[in-house]
Amino acid sequence: MTSSTTAGLSAVDFEKFREFFYKRTGIQFTESKRYFVDKRIETCIKQAGFPGFNAWFSALRLSDRSGLLQDLINQLTVNETYFLREDYQFDSLLKTVLPDVLAARGGAGRMTGPVKILSLPCSTGEEPYSIALRLLEEWDQIDHVDVEIHGADIDSAVLDKAAHASYGERSLQRVPMSWRAKYFAPVGAGRYQLDAGIRGAVTLHQINVCDTTSMRAFRDFDVIFCRNVLIYFDELSSRRAAENLYGAMRPGGYLFLGHSESMSRISPIFTPSRLPEGIVYQRPSGGPR
Amino acid sequence: MGLVRREQQPAEAKAAPSVETLLRQLDDPDPDCRREAALGLDGVAEAVPHLLARVGPETASTVRDALLTTLAAHDTTEVAEALAIHLASDEADLRTSVAEALSTMPGSVPAIIPRLIDDPDHDVRVMTAMVLADLAHPGSLTWLADMIRQDPHPNVVTAAVDALLPSLGPEHTELLRDAVRRFPDDPFLRFTVEAAVG
Ligand SMILES: C[S@@+](CC[C@H](N)C(=O)[O-])C[C@H]1O[C@@H](n2cnc3c(N)ncnc32)[C@H](O)[C@@H]1O
Repeated sequence: MTSSTTAGLSAVDFEKFREFFYKRTGIQFTESKRYFVDKRIETCIKQAGFPGFNAWFSALRLSDRSGLLQDLINQLTVNETYFLREDYQFDSLLKTVLPDVLAARGGAGRMTGPVKILSLPCSTGEEPYSIALRLLEEWDQIDHVDVEIHGADIDSAVLDKAAHASYGERSLQRVPMSWRAKYFAPVGAGRYQLDAGIRGAVTLHQINVCDTTSMRAFRDFDVIFCRNVLIYFDELSSRRAAENLYGAMRPGGYLFLGHSESMSRISPIFTPSRLPEGIVYQRPSGGPR
Repeated sequence: MGLVRREQQPAEAKAAPSVETLLRQLDDPDPDCRREAALGLDGVAEAVPHLLARVGPETASTVRDALLTTLAAHDTTEVAEALAIHLASDEADLRTSVAEALSTMPGSVPAIIPRLIDDPDHDVRVMTAMVLADLAHPGSLTWLADMIRQDPHPNVVTAAVDALLPSLGPEHTELLRDAVRRFPDDPFLRFTVEAAVG
């Protein structure tokens, strides 16, 4: 097969591409993902108007068209998410983690600065907005402390959707009807847009969790949700992501991973702590070990 | 009180410190600063010798893990060989962290495995089994099987059995039973094998 057709990549092309994409995102595609990757690369090549893989790939690498890489990332990331996903972790957040954060920081009345929560990756926004809704509806301290919620993702297209915050049935399935009535307005075609107040309260950022330099912008988070992304990384990228998350947290801060993810195989820098609702990881509070 | 928005200030997106600054910070008295310098030197080839030189003396394990994270991304023989020296360290934490890092370097580590398997120090061979447990390489299982079959030290054989367990197939049954026969006085090995193959 020649590498200049858009109908499927040669093995050599795939290998070159895989290496390149891994270095830029930390995501490792195995041979079993070949079909998925091929189709999306074809879409990118066509959309950008290139005759074939080689021309597109050189433009991509030499980055004389910076949009190419972003289009590719947007095509190749798995963005599936929904409101109140794995919400036993939000139970933990309300029942155990936030009370502990407040206590560690001197109590609701005496804290300096807000409680900071980060959802990374946030995809189309359901995760940070779920946190906002649960805090507003169910946390008895919300009127006594300031809470800052941030969402971040590598994919600019999902962030645009997160900013717009209008969702279909599939994504809203688990949201109680009373919350829907209170916080969402129908915008046609079976979609509902989240209240502007909540949309406005969540700050969105584009970021690569594996990129240490840009992750330096994140500091002093009390709680980070990093769910359902480490599964796409190989060990080395996971390790780097873990280090970067650690740097973004306050000593004693809490990290939630997705239910199929575990830090124990990735890095020893966090201390696991078993809560009634499941495992959560903590950045040790007493300086370095 | 309640949800508050934080506008992103331009100052928040701090510029990356220069390589020289980061290299200097590797010797900062503050471990957090050393840790960030080690992570910040990701992909900087000229920093490799400096990072390597600090793995052994570093006392804060958070900093050491950061050094190893950055070093492991340089999957070269030079780095693999320099790290492998620490498999012989008396410090258990250091040995283990280095073994973990080596197991994420499938490009360069396979070339040094034959030498490590023959190392005169049986503790190094035990650590080598740990590296092989996680090394994504088609030869890993064969090397582990060789260790189980040939290594004269029971601790090494037990470590290799342990490393092989998650990938155990019916083809390994005889190999494991043989190992138990070779070391009839090692209850731990017997127990491990019995639990695995009955
Ligand atoms: C399956 S979604 C997870 C969303 C949400 N956390 C959840 O659990 O439902 C995975 C997201 O990870 C993002 N992602 C992939 N690689 C990333 C990286 N290197 N840095 C930041 N985000 C990344 C993708 O763009 C995608 O939106």
